[in-house]
Amino acid sequence: MTVEQAYQILYGGVLIVLILLIGAMVIRSIIGPRSTDRIVSVNMLGTMTICSIAVLSVLLDEGYLADVAMIYAMISFVAVLMMASMFVPSKPKAPVLDRDKDHEAAAEGESGGEQK
Amino acid sequence: MILEWIRFAIAAVLAILGLCSFGSAVLGAYRFGFVLNRMHAAGIGDTAGIFLMIASLAVARGLHMDTLKLVVLVFFLWFTSPVSTHFLGQVEFYTNPLLGRHVKQADLPGQTGEDQTKGEGDGAD
Repeated sequence: MTVEQAYQILYGGVLIVLILLIGAMVIRSIIGPRSTDRIVSVNMLGTMTICSIAVLSVLLDEGYLADVAMIYAMISFVAVLMMASMFVPSKPKAPVLDRDKDHEAAAEGESGGEQK
Repeated sequence: MILEWIRFAIAAVLAILGLCSFGSAVLGAYRFGFVLNRMHAAGIGDTAGIFLMIASLAVARGLHMDTLKLVVLVFFLWFTSPVSTHFLGQVEFYTNPLLGRHVKQADLPGQTGEDQTKGEGDGAD
């Protein structure tokens, strides 16, 4: 086995694992209970997509795919900022918390990710 | 020839470490119960995962123009990931009505914490 074949096997396996992780993040972005969970999942998904494009640029020996990965990183960043900015109120105020009530509710029931 | 195999071994170790970072990020995204904890897990993938994977690709590629592009990509992601994480944390802080279940009140800016100045949290733009 030559070194080139070893590199093909290594980065092919890396791509397969990255595809599985991207699928897991797609499922996470579907089941995320709040919008911020979904945006965090989309952010991680974009990072893994950038990584897989970079792996493809070395695996296929195509230099322009590195440029594609850079453009994808910029678009992913702007997309996350725009998705997040849709939920920020124009005049934000710090939330007033009823802490005792919340702690009683958290002590009674498990406070997992069931919030609305 | 043996130097080529040593280079392949370094690239393989770095790639496997990068995959472990991405795997721990996904595991944290599933196992943590709150979005601010999930952001911590996502930050592992955004910094350590992409750095180790691009380092593996740079070792495999050698001195080349594409390696410089990949290094620039890593630095771009290192600058943009904290910005988006901070912005998402701000969104969660202003929009989650049940934030007190997960965050201590003394940690919140603008609340009754002694070490926080009053109204620090609502000074954004």
